[in-house]
Amino acid sequence: MKMRIIILQTIGYLLFSSLLLTGCDALEESPKNMVVENFYKTPEEVETATNAIYHSLRAGECMAVYEATLECMSDCVYGRGSWAQIGEYSKLNDTNITRVGTIWKWFYLAIRNANLVIQRSPAGDPAIDVFVAEAHFLRAFSYFQIVRNWGGVPLRTDKNLGETDVPKSTIDDVYKLIIDDLSLAEGMLPEKQGLIGRPTKWAAKTLLADVYLHLEKYGDARAKAEEVMASRQYLLVPVKTKEDFQNNVFGPALLTTSEEIFYLKYSNVVAGQSNYLLWITNHASTGGFPFGGAYVLYMKSDTEAFRNWDEGDLRRQLWSHADFGLGDNTYVSAKFIDKGAISQNGGANDDPVYGYSDLLLIYAEALAMEKGNATVEAMEAVNQIRRRAYGYDPLVASEVDYKLADYASADKFRDLVIKERGYEFQLEGKRWLELKRTGKAQQVINAEKGYDVDEISFLWPFPVDEINYNTAIDPSRDQNPGY
Amino acid sequence: MQSERKKIFSCLWVVLALLLLAPWANAQNQKVQLNGKNLTLKAAFKQIEEQTKMSVDYDAEVINTSRQVTSVSKEMTVDELLKQLFRNTEYTYAFEGSHILIKLRQLPSKKKITGTITDESGLPVIGANVVVKGTANGVITDLNGNFMIEVAENAVLKVSYVGYSSKEIPIGNKTSLVIQIKEDTELLDEVVVIGYGVVKKSDLTGSVSSVKSDVVNSYPTTNVLQALSGKSAGTQIKQSTGAPGADVSVRIRGTNSIQGSNEPLYVIDGFPISSTPSNLNNSEIESIEILKDASATAIYGSRGANGVVLITTKQGKAGKTHVEFETSYSSQSLIKKLDMMDATEYAQFYNLQQKTDTGKEFFTQEQVNGFGKGFDWQDLIFRNAPLWKGSLSISGGSEKTQFALSGSLFRQDGIIEGSDYRRYSVQTNLKHEINRIFSVSFSSTLTRNETNVKNSGAGARGSSMISAAISAPPTLTPYTEDGKYRELATAYPFLATDLINPLNFINEQSRHSKSNNVLANVSFLITPISDLTVKLMGGIENHDGLGGFYKTRGYLHSSGYAELQASQSTSLLSENTATYAKRFGKNNISAVAGFTFQNFVNTNVGGSGTGFLSDVFEEYKLQTASTPGIPSSGYSKSVLMSYLARVNYSFDDKYLITASIRRDGSSRYSEKNKWGSFPSAAVAWRASNEDFLKSNKFISNLKVRASWGLTGSQAIDPYVTLSTLENKNTIFGDALYNSFAPGSRLPGDLKWETTEQINIGVDLGLWDRLNLTADYYVKNTRDLLNSVLLPTSSGYVNTIQNIGKVQNKGFELTLDARVLTGEFKWNVNANISFNRNKVKKLYGGEDIFGGKVNAVIVNDETNILREGYPIGQFWGYVEDGYDEKGQIIFKDLKEDGTINKEDKTFIGDPNPDFIYGLTSNMSFKNFELNLFFQGSQGNDLFNASAISNTMDYGYGLNMPKDVFNNHWTTENTNAKYPAISYNTKVRVSDRFIENGSYLRLKNIQLAYNVPVRKLDCNWIRHLQVYASGQNLLTFTKYSWWDPEVNTYGGANSVSQGIDYSSYPSSKSFTFGIRVGF
Repeated sequence: MKMRIIILQTIGYLLFSSLLLTGCDALEESPKNMVVENFYKTPEEVETATNAIYHSLRAGECMAVYEATLECMSDCVYGRGSWAQIGEYSKLNDTNITRVGTIWKWFYLAIRNANLVIQRSPAGDPAIDVFVAEAHFLRAFSYFQIVRNWGGVPLRTDKNLGETDVPKSTIDDVYKLIIDDLSLAEGMLPEKQGLIGRPTKWAAKTLLADVYLHLEKYGDARAKAEEVMASRQYLLVPVKTKEDFQNNVFGPALLTTSEEIFYLKYSNVVAGQSNYLLWITNHASTGGFPFGGAYVLYMKSDTEAFRNWDEGDLRRQLWSHADFGLGDNTYVSAKFIDKGAISQNGGANDDPVYGYSDLLLIYAEALAMEKGNATVEAMEAVNQIRRRAYGYDPLVASEVDYKLADYASADKFRDLVIKERGYEFQLEGKRWLELKRTGKAQQVINAEKGYDVDEISFLWPFPVDEINYNTAIDPSRDQNPGY
Repeated sequence: MQSERKKIFSCLWVVLALLLLAPWANAQNQKVQLNGKNLTLKAAFKQIEEQTKMSVDYDAEVINTSRQVTSVSKEMTVDELLKQLFRNTEYTYAFEGSHILIKLRQLPSKKKITGTITDESGLPVIGANVVVKGTANGVITDLNGNFMIEVAENAVLKVSYVGYSSKEIPIGNKTSLVIQIKEDTELLDEVVVIGYGVVKKSDLTGSVSSVKSDVVNSYPTTNVLQALSGKSAGTQIKQSTGAPGADVSVRIRGTNSIQGSNEPLYVIDGFPISSTPSNLNNSEIESIEILKDASATAIYGSRGANGVVLITTKQGKAGKTHVEFETSYSSQSLIKKLDMMDATEYAQFYNLQQKTDTGKEFFTQEQVNGFGKGFDWQDLIFRNAPLWKGSLSISGGSEKTQFALSGSLFRQDGIIEGSDYRRYSVQTNLKHEINRIFSVSFSSTLTRNETNVKNSGAGARGSSMISAAISAPPTLTPYTEDGKYRELATAYPFLATDLINPLNFINEQSRHSKSNNVLANVSFLITPISDLTVKLMGGIENHDGLGGFYKTRGYLHSSGYAELQASQSTSLLSENTATYAKRFGKNNISAVAGFTFQNFVNTNVGGSGTGFLSDVFEEYKLQTASTPGIPSSGYSKSVLMSYLARVNYSFDDKYLITASIRRDGSSRYSEKNKWGSFPSAAVAWRASNEDFLKSNKFISNLKVRASWGLTGSQAIDPYVTLSTLENKNTIFGDALYNSFAPGSRLPGDLKWETTEQINIGVDLGLWDRLNLTADYYVKNTRDLLNSVLLPTSSGYVNTIQNIGKVQNKGFELTLDARVLTGEFKWNVNANISFNRNKVKKLYGGEDIFGGKVNAVIVNDETNILREGYPIGQFWGYVEDGYDEKGQIIFKDLKEDGTINKEDKTFIGDPNPDFIYGLTSNMSFKNFELNLFFQGSQGNDLFNASAISNTMDYGYGLNMPKDVFNNHWTTENTNAKYPAISYNTKVRVSDRFIENGSYLRLKNIQLAYNVPVRKLDCNWIRHLQVYASGQNLLTFTKYSWWDPEVNTYGGANSVSQGIDYSSYPSSKSFTFGIRVGF
């Protein structure tokens, strides 16, 4: 009889103790992972948080697609397939609205990650401050892309990070933030970085010079460019052949070059870290990319730009003949090639966002515009680039040099610079923005491609998601014209 | 606060449980006092019964109760009183719960009896119980059915054996006996397994379908769930593709969740598993119960919203050891080939296209004339493939110990070269009664799964295997003259760059996975007093998986690529329940209460590499990769804690009530929303037990049921409510660096999705020949977790909120008829179910899109969720004939002069009007003929394969003959297909919507039961040989491979009804044998 009591007591005890075992804390979640609230404390944590900004910018759908999209809008390059419509200078179709919406998303993701670093990092530790400065630089870089393509946008900063609904700012406000960020970064970033690919003081000054140039603050632009030149950090890489361009200037194996100011870095060392632009631009006939490529961008040999392009210019030889059903006059670019690429997703070539040639041309243009006429120094800057392109020593006068006398007026000189930029920065997404900045887009594109460039082409639409879910945006008032 | 409340709740429960046990705990210590003098034993018993509320049980034939007892008048405990009453008598007593048993004291034996127990066929019965009536004196028969027992004069032997009628034999003068016992032919009231218990089918108040082992095992299916297709009303089984081992999606009464899974909860032998039951072989299953209404599922609380499937494996029975062996062999083949253009037609077709688009034909007339039929690429990749299954099971045991052991295997080769599926499993079920109070049971399944997967699904312009097999030009052969793979993309200048020679997929790429799976649990049963059982159960579910992928150096543009991933998912379960059942006169009550704890831990690790020296390594030398991939690993854990209780009460077997509640706490939800309560209630009226119907010969059974309840759905993964950081990588210099940042989903506060369901049902039996079950239900799901889009400038893409509402309502009918009885038997079972689904509310009324199809010329969404419409509607453009150039005209529904997203509309519905199944079993003498039809009516399919292969002209893709014969020309402007030009604009349009209805003869089987008895093979109990055919006949209008397809199926809810280059289903012929010893 006692047995039964004992049994019952045992059961009761078992039930009760298993309740205790599974106590109240059992439902607490403790992931083997970091959470936002506990992160951004040490220099190492802030460093990896800063790295996340690069991840966004380097994503295939961000810079690579961004540059290719802008290239479709330039006067000399055509888009193929679904990209062709971008170059029709009318309202973007659904596919391309989505495409530019995705670019927007990635830039804003970079901005959010920069904002988190700026907002959450503890102040006063120099080891942390350098990353905060980097975050300011990258935020400015992202907004600079956004403001030039979308105009005034919701200004997301470290101050309004938690808010879902943020109204549209003016273009001036966006530029103000960019200049503030860069001024801060310029002061705090080191002259040399331990890791190749992190921005230096000089990168900040170069970007600032470009920003000033876009704002037509020529004196400021010239001054910043001069500071970089005066640092004597950079030199153009001399070339002799087009292969030198492919290998020594833009090559996949390069760790860095003497002309690198700020590049986005890609690699074949591990999978999944390559530059998507190679897939976008190559065609099997270039022989430079083992996976063939999507040959999204092409040029036509019978266009003005191509016909007038001197065959001695090694940069023209980077275009390679390819016939894929669009006619015998089709050329695709072999500027970025990687014969050892390990996946279809791209190659190890860096994205040369700001190189020394860019700085020289910013300097040349700013100086001439500031002075109201071309100068010897300005012409020398342009000629360094021209000499290199023809296989000459950039620093020694050559037979291909432009003569100052031929381009003495500021306007003429600027036209020369813009033309030279067009040759120099093929596939880098700069051409359209130059044409837009200098007010030449309509005329040049009409002459070259025969399209009337509608006002609608100057700004991309806000993504549908932004209009629908940001209640501080008024769909009719805030959306860019035509959408 | 929250934790404090939980503590109090926990304690209360224990106190309640103890209180419940208390009255009987001290039964023998209750005080009694006999009143009156010269009491008879009978009167004394009566007083004890009155004073203690216990019952005194005895055999009136054995106990003389009319004799007087010595007067005992002082108050004492029952125990003491009985001790006095029976001092110096031949009687003794015992306490059994609330009963006092009075028995004869065992007297010295008088004589020895020996005997043998046999069954009807004269075979010895092992383990039968032989007891001297009215005593505890008993023995069990040995291996030869023999027993020996000592008995008193004039004793009566009682022989009993499970499944047989018990028999009483007066000994008389005999000393040796041969006793034959007969199988109990009286049909026992069928028992149905429900959550945390069993119930007689007649006492069921909820909606439960039961599928028995013979049905589950009637024809070979890769996945046990496929065997349920068409067998249970309200249950829709859809296979994603025909690939061996491919996923099967199960929808019980429609789709409830958008964010979460819509798959039911699977419970194997009481263990709620965290995966699908793909580890069981059909032959191991005793029965499958499908719980559908809330009354049945609410006991599973937060996991019950999508229905619950209870799987019971075969258990041993006391008695003779049974050996069952079965094996079958099937030959599978493609149901149909697509009728593609032959080489001549292909050349003519692309000459036409080239002429139109470039002005000159590509093939010369001479070439065209020389091509003939060309090469059939479908023959290259499809084959006839064998499927073999076999199982051996041994079961049996004694009254105290029962066992069932089985080993089985399933080997299926796919109809595509290189694809296969293997499953080996060993199963054990043991039960042992330690004594009258304690017993223990153990059940385990160990499974090894191996599968080789051939790339299928999606892939436009021949970039996947299936797509390549029909896209490849019939004018070309797979090999070049020098024996190399022909590179198709460059064979003609117009061929799509995506088109890959399918030999690359077949020979140069392998993907396989292997897994070892364990499901084991031990239960400890304690019956401290009769009517009360406490069950303490502990269990382990574990899956160790290894997935490998290798692309050889021989694959197009490959230097060798390898991946290897290992994963482990483990779930530990502790389940503690107490069950009480008691009948008081006409009142019958049973109750269960308990608490459970289950955790789920997942870990994984993976590596990859590109560039290998040799293909010999496959994926087993990642360290030699010239470019190593970034290794990855992960961990997640979640916990579910629950309290549950249920009471069933019935009065006079006429009025039945069930009420249950489960309270679930999940770690996955936000701090304040971790706990949810899921109550249910049901009533039923067995009208046929009322007097006015009892004598009715026409109505043999009539029960009306109604139920209401709440169930939940977990819907989110662990850590979703936390702001965890995602790690990515970036490059500086040429080296890799880590990065940490929040993901693109903004975490938010989340709580359970809740589904409220009402069900009204009726069970009707007519003449004992016809049984009909009808159910009507309405399910409303609220607090539906929805992905809510955010403005992307916020740096987040979406967040999850409890916003949406979805409704499912429907009607189910099951008919079971014994049409003919007697020598020619014919049974028919039919079921049909109608479900109507509607999205009631979405966040801000915003549409949700799904089913993104990337087919190069079309990149668009195909499905939509919109308020007021059923889930997963097809969404696209409407065509309006052709213009003067043979280009498609799309309807400008918005009438703004352009065709864009605004012009998309509803173009089809993947949800069927109804689904049905029909089974017919006929038997005559030793022959059986079984037919099983299954079908779906009124559902549409989106044929995404047709985008590339009927509309994407100009890239050299082969097309069905139909395109060749029926495209737009100036003479044929009303054609099915537009003008053949690469300028043809294609959109997601109504053109690709096809009628997906079908009726299919899933199985036909002719079996012969060999009359072993007549053949004098007594060692064989039964022997059946059969031949059957699966999917031999299909009635459908669907143009592509097969209408039973759902490329993006699985747990998903939005992207339904899409066929995109899926692995086609097969038909098969099967020969098999089933034998029992």
